[in-house]
Amino acid sequence: MTVFSQRIVVVTGKGGVGKTTVATSLGLAASAAGRRTLLVETSGAQHIAPLFGVESTGYTPVALDDKLFTLSITPEAAIEEYIIQQVKFRKVYELVFENRVMGPFLDAVPGLHDAVQLGKIFDLFRETTRWGRPTWDTIVVDAPATGHGLALLDAARNMMELTRAGPLYENNRIVHEVLDDPEHTALVLVSLPESMPVNETIELYERLGTGRNRVQLCVLNQLLQDLGVGVSDLEAAVASVAEPRHASLDEALGFATNWQTRVRAQQHAAQLLREHLPTRHVSLPRVPRHFLETTDLHAFTGLLGAEVTA
Amino acid sequence: MKPSTQVVICCGSGGVGKTTVSAALALKWALDGARVAVLTIDPARRLADSLGVGTLDNEPRRVPLERLDQFVPGASGSLDAMMLDVKSTFDQMVARLARTPENAERILAHRYYRFASTRLGGSHEYMAMERLYTLCDQGEYDVVVLDTPPTRHALDFLRAPERMAGLMDQGVLRWLVMPATKGGWRAIELGSEMVSKALKRLLGRGTVGEIADFFDVFRDLWEGFRERSERVDALLSSEQTRFYLVTTTALGVRSDVQYFLEVFSERNLPLAGLVLNRVIQPPVATSIAAIPGHPEETQALRQALDWRHSMAGGLSEAITQLCGSGPNRLELWKIPEQTGEVHTMTCLEALGAYVPPSPCVAPEPAATS
Repeated sequence: MTVFSQRIVVVTGKGGVGKTTVATSLGLAASAAGRRTLLVETSGAQHIAPLFGVESTGYTPVALDDKLFTLSITPEAAIEEYIIQQVKFRKVYELVFENRVMGPFLDAVPGLHDAVQLGKIFDLFRETTRWGRPTWDTIVVDAPATGHGLALLDAARNMMELTRAGPLYENNRIVHEVLDDPEHTALVLVSLPESMPVNETIELYERLGTGRNRVQLCVLNQLLQDLGVGVSDLEAAVASVAEPRHASLDEALGFATNWQTRVRAQQHAAQLLREHLPTRHVSLPRVPRHFLETTDLHAFTGLLGAEVTA
Repeated sequence: MKPSTQVVICCGSGGVGKTTVSAALALKWALDGARVAVLTIDPARRLADSLGVGTLDNEPRRVPLERLDQFVPGASGSLDAMMLDVKSTFDQMVARLARTPENAERILAHRYYRFASTRLGGSHEYMAMERLYTLCDQGEYDVVVLDTPPTRHALDFLRAPERMAGLMDQGVLRWLVMPATKGGWRAIELGSEMVSKALKRLLGRGTVGEIADFFDVFRDLWEGFRERSERVDALLSSEQTRFYLVTTTALGVRSDVQYFLEVFSERNLPLAGLVLNRVIQPPVATSIAAIPGHPEETQALRQALDWRHSMAGGLSEAITQLCGSGPNRLELWKIPEQTGEVHTMTCLEALGAYVPPSPCVAPEPAATS
C-alpha cells in the first residue's frame, strides 16, 4: 500500500520541522501522478498559496495548478458552515449567531473547534462532482504540531465520548470511521535529524496507540549531506600546508569539522528513528537557503513522489 | 516594600527554540543573583535532565545549588523549573475558588469537568496564565519566565483570561440554567427561543442539558473566577511584565513574526525586543587556496565555507525586515547557531552571553539586625 492509495493524507510533527513544506511537496507529487489534489491548511495561516504566487481565498479552494488546489479551514468558518447546514436557513443562522449567548456557549463545548475542522475535512472527502465522482482524489492535510495534531485526529472520538448520543455523536461517528481507517487515511510524520525532534516523533508514534497502523511514511527533513571526507583527513590536509598558513584554511576546517560532527549526529538520530518506526522512511536534504525556492519544492516532490507512488 | 515579581514571557512560533531560550534566560539571571522560576510548556525531557531536576511537573523543582556553583561560585540566586500540567492547575484553581469543599468536590466530580478542564478551547492557555499568576502571587521569586504554549493562534493566551471571563459571565450563562418556567426576562433576549432550539438541534438535547447543569454547579466559582481573570489581565499589561519574541531567520517563521508584531501593537503590549536564535555569522574568509595533493579535502573545505556564506548572506536583510529601522527599531539579541544540540547546562550557560539582561534591579544588601 502506498500513501496515495488513501484519499486522506494527514501530515503532522513537532513545530518547525517543515510540515507545510512536506505537505506541499506531497500535494505536488499527488497531482503530478494525475490525482486531483486538495492541500488543506488548518492553522489559520495561509502559507501555501503564496508559495505559488497565488492569492489565498481562505475557505474556498483556490487553484495552484491544473490539478492542485488549496484551502484554509479555520474553526470559525467551519462552525458557521456546520450551523447553516444544521439549521438549514441562513435567516435562522443570522438570528442564532447574532445572539450573544451562542458564541460563548459553543466555546463551552470542549473540542468542538477541532471536531468541526475534522468534519469539514470529511465533507471534502465525501464531496462528489455532478457525475458522482469524488471531487478530490487526494486531500493532503497540513495538520497542527504534535499535541494539537493528535487532538485534531482524535477530535471525532472525543466528541463521541462527550455527547454519547444525539446528532453530534452520529456525525462524529461517521467521521471517526473514515479517519480511523487505514484504508482511507494515511498519516505522514515529519521529523528533523536531531535527537530531540526524533525522540518526540517516536513518542508521537507511541501515543497514536492502535491508530499507528495509519502511519505510512516518515519524512526526515533537512538532512545535511555528508562532505565525503573524514575529519582526520581534513585535518591532515590542512596540516600539510607549510606554516605560516592562511587563516582562511583554519576557518574552513572549523566549519567542515562542525559539519561532519553534525552529519554523524544526524545519522545516529536517523538510525534511531528507523529502529522505532516500522514504516517507510524518506529524507529530504537541507538546502543552503533561508527561503525555499520553487526548484527546491520540485526536488522534494521528486524524492517524495518516488516513495509515495511506488 | 517588597519588590514585586517580574514576569518575562517568551513568545514565538513552534520550533524556534523558545524553551531553550527561556531556560537560558532563567539560568543567566539566576547566576546573576535573582531567584528565578521557569515555567515550560513543552515536555522537553533533555532540558529537565540538563538542569538536573529529574522530571518536570506542575510543582517547582529546584536546580541543585552545586550546578549553579560550577559557573558562579557562591551564586546567591536560585533556579526552579517546572512544566505546566493543565489538569492539576485547573483542579487547584477550583479548590481555591469554591466557597466550600463540598462544592469543589461536586465540580471536580462532574462528568463534563473532565472534558472542560483539558479540552476546552483556551483552557491550556488560560492555565498557563493561572499558574504564572500563582507563582507571582507567592512572592518567592524575583523573576518568573514563561515559555508560551504552542497555540493555534499564536497569541491566544493573551486573550485567554478575558475569554474565560466572558464564558463565565453570569449574564450569558444565567440564560442557560434558568428554568424555562421562570420566563419573563426572556423577552429581553430577542430570538432566544430560537437559539435554544438551534443549540439543541446542533449539539443534542443531552449535551446542552449537561453543559447547562455543569455551569449551574460552576456558578459558585463565577465571582472568584472573573475577579481572578481580571487580575491576570492586569498583571499582563502591567510594568512588571515584559515580552520577548523569539524567532529564527527561517522563512515561515518570519511571516509569523509580522503577525506577532501586529498583535502586540494592537493590544498595546510592551515588546521588550526580539531574540534571534540560530544566527549564522558570515565567515571572514571568502575562499581558500587549493591544498596541493588534496583535491577531495579542498573541495570539502570549500563546500563547507560556501555553505556558511549562503546561510549568512541575507542575514542583515532579514534582520532589517524583522526589526524595522529608525527610532522604532526593535531591540535585538542574536544567539549564534550552536554546534550541537543544547542539552547540557554548560551549553545553556554559554547562551547566557547573548541574552537580554535581567529585569531585576540589583538586589539590595541584606539588612543586618
